[in-house]
Amino acid sequence: MYYRYVIKELRHRSNRTLVNVFGIAVGIALFVSISAVSTAYKTAASRPFKNIGADLIVQRAEKQQDQPDKRIKSMRGIRLPFSNQLFEAQDLLALQRIEGIDATTHALLLWEFAENGFRTIMGVDAGQSSLGAGKVRDWVKQGRFPEKPDEIALEKHFAKFQKIKPGDTFQISGHTFTIVGIIEIKEGAQVAAANIYMPLGIARMLLARKPDAMNLIYLRLNDPSMLNQVKSQLAAQIKGASISSSDSFLELMGGVSMISEKFSLIASMVALLGAVSLIMKTMIANLVERSHEIGILKAVGWTHQEIQKQLTAEAFVQTLAGGLLGILVGYFISFLLGFLSITIPIPWELNPVPAMAKQAQAASQIVRLPVSVSLPLAATAMGLSVIIGCVIGYVTGRRTSKMKPVDILRQL
Amino acid sequence: MNNHHIISATDLNKDFDSLQVVKGVNLDVNKGEFVAIVGKSGSGKTTLLSLLSGLERPSSGRVILDGRDITDSSENELALFRRDTVGFVFQSFHLIPTLSAWENVALPLFPVKISAEKRRERALELLRQMEMEHRAEHRPSTLSGGEKQRVAIARALINNPKIVFADEPTGNLDSATTDAILEILKCLHADNGLSLVMVTHDLDLAESSDRIIRMQDGEVLS
Ligand SMILES: Nc1ncnc2c1ncn2[C@@H]1O[C@H](COP(=O)(O)OP(=O)(O)OP(=O)(O)O)[C@@H](O)[C@H]1O
Ligand SMILES: [Mg+2]
Repeated sequence: MYYRYVIKELRHRSNRTLVNVFGIAVGIALFVSISAVSTAYKTAASRPFKNIGADLIVQRAEKQQDQPDKRIKSMRGIRLPFSNQLFEAQDLLALQRIEGIDATTHALLLWEFAENGFRTIMGVDAGQSSLGAGKVRDWVKQGRFPEKPDEIALEKHFAKFQKIKPGDTFQISGHTFTIVGIIEIKEGAQVAAANIYMPLGIARMLLARKPDAMNLIYLRLNDPSMLNQVKSQLAAQIKGASISSSDSFLELMGGVSMISEKFSLIASMVALLGAVSLIMKTMIANLVERSHEIGILKAVGWTHQEIQKQLTAEAFVQTLAGGLLGILVGYFISFLLGFLSITIPIPWELNPVPAMAKQAQAASQIVRLPVSVSLPLAATAMGLSVIIGCVIGYVTGRRTSKMKPVDILRQL
Repeated sequence: MNNHHIISATDLNKDFDSLQVVKGVNLDVNKGEFVAIVGKSGSGKTTLLSLLSGLERPSSGRVILDGRDITDSSENELALFRRDTVGFVFQSFHLIPTLSAWENVALPLFPVKISAEKRRERALELLRQMEMEHRAEHRPSTLSGGEKQRVAIARALINNPKIVFADEPTGNLDSATTDAILEILKCLHADNGLSLVMVTHDLDLAESSDRIIRMQDGEVLS
């Protein structure tokens, strides 16, 4: 090979080489960091679900046409949240007909409007601790999870706010409970958050309705790629169901997170294309400058293919270097972006707290953006640089075919 | 045609649009002959040289170079043919600025499959013949005009050509250097039996050739 010529050409025209290498590097760095950030948003958005081991949450909201004043009348005491009406037995049967569901668990979420304030109560299925609200059993910080009918656990901030601790008693809807544990909700798991936790049976008793009442269903899928399919089946089978997945968070986050996978690909491609056209331009401008040299090569017997090979090798080395540099810079940018904290707003129907409750508990959660450059992403970036190198080599090479060796005879 | 002709050109014409630059040239060059082409500026010397050497195709007529009809060859065929058979020396040297002297000499062999070692050996050997071995690692920008032309001559010889075409090889050199370069070319011709076609408008230079061909307005006079 003419590697010696390639190296000399690049080394002795170092300004031009640097412009090209940096141009590609900027394009690749943008590609890498845009992709990494968009993935990070997705990861962040999937956290609330990941933390409770669920792919989907199914709820049924109160019918929209309900009169607002009717709501207010029934406000006092224990009631169902607007977005969490009870499921029927037939709904559960319908669930069993849907393919692709690996595991199911349920919970009962209640609101109490008491004299001294508003609180949310989560009745947790005692049998399940790997999925759904049952996960809070793993997050007991102090004491233990309630077992007996007169025991409850409190969420850490709520307990602090109320200035109560394990061993104290607590009144709910006229019943007296003993606090046996404090629960700390894991970062980004606010979908499972409530002020008060108790076994499902006790919550059902508080609601004083059907003994099998439930208003939250958590689903885990066999295969995450079946998400949309299962979603649409659920919508068809369970009337009035509102089905949430991590996409629901992404939609709410707005900004960069709005960049869907496709869009981020397009955006980064545009960045890359900008870099490519820049380099194409300098390479072609440079080719005009080098037409003399190309003429010499032709005169001394280089074929068109051999010249094309030389130019491709030059482009290849530059884009390869630019690609590597770009990945490093992209990695560094991603590392810096990893220090950003982002807010994940909770979709209305997943927020356990009613919108009008002026609770300290925010309807959103703040997490560190989990940016990272994955190996496949780096490999894609590298592959892109190589492809770019070949394309540039090909395009510039084609241009040389019109250059005539005889022209150098008339050049001084 | 005759097999002791290295070049046999018949009824060569070259037009640029309506401009006839070479008109009905018939010319044979014997193997081992040193031919000088002289004529006024614009008389078509360079154009004729490019037709004879396969750098350019004629508008009409035939060129047989080293027994091969190159008139209808493709660009690539001509390139490969030049690589195998022809050497060039130009007025303005035409060295690659980023390459060192020996690399410039080896340039025609870069795409040829021989070992890097051999290629370098051969280039250095030719530089030694040109008394330029000590500048082998220097780039053209650091060389004098005469030194550049010595490098260019070495490059023209690296493929063991049967014929060397030189277009005013001393046009950019002072008289002392001109003499030295001419001496080299004459030696190559005399010692190695190399065919040589040289364009010049210096009649003194042309005197050292075996035959002088005069051109005027695109035609060969004698
Ligand atoms: N590519 C071209 N297009 C148009 N005209 C051309 C082209 N090449 C050469 N000519 C014209 O052909 C004529 C002969 O040119 P050529 O270079 O062969 O002359 P020359 O004898 O070598 O002159 P000089 O001694 O100045 O080098 C000139 O008038 C020139 O302008
Ligand atoms: Mg000329």
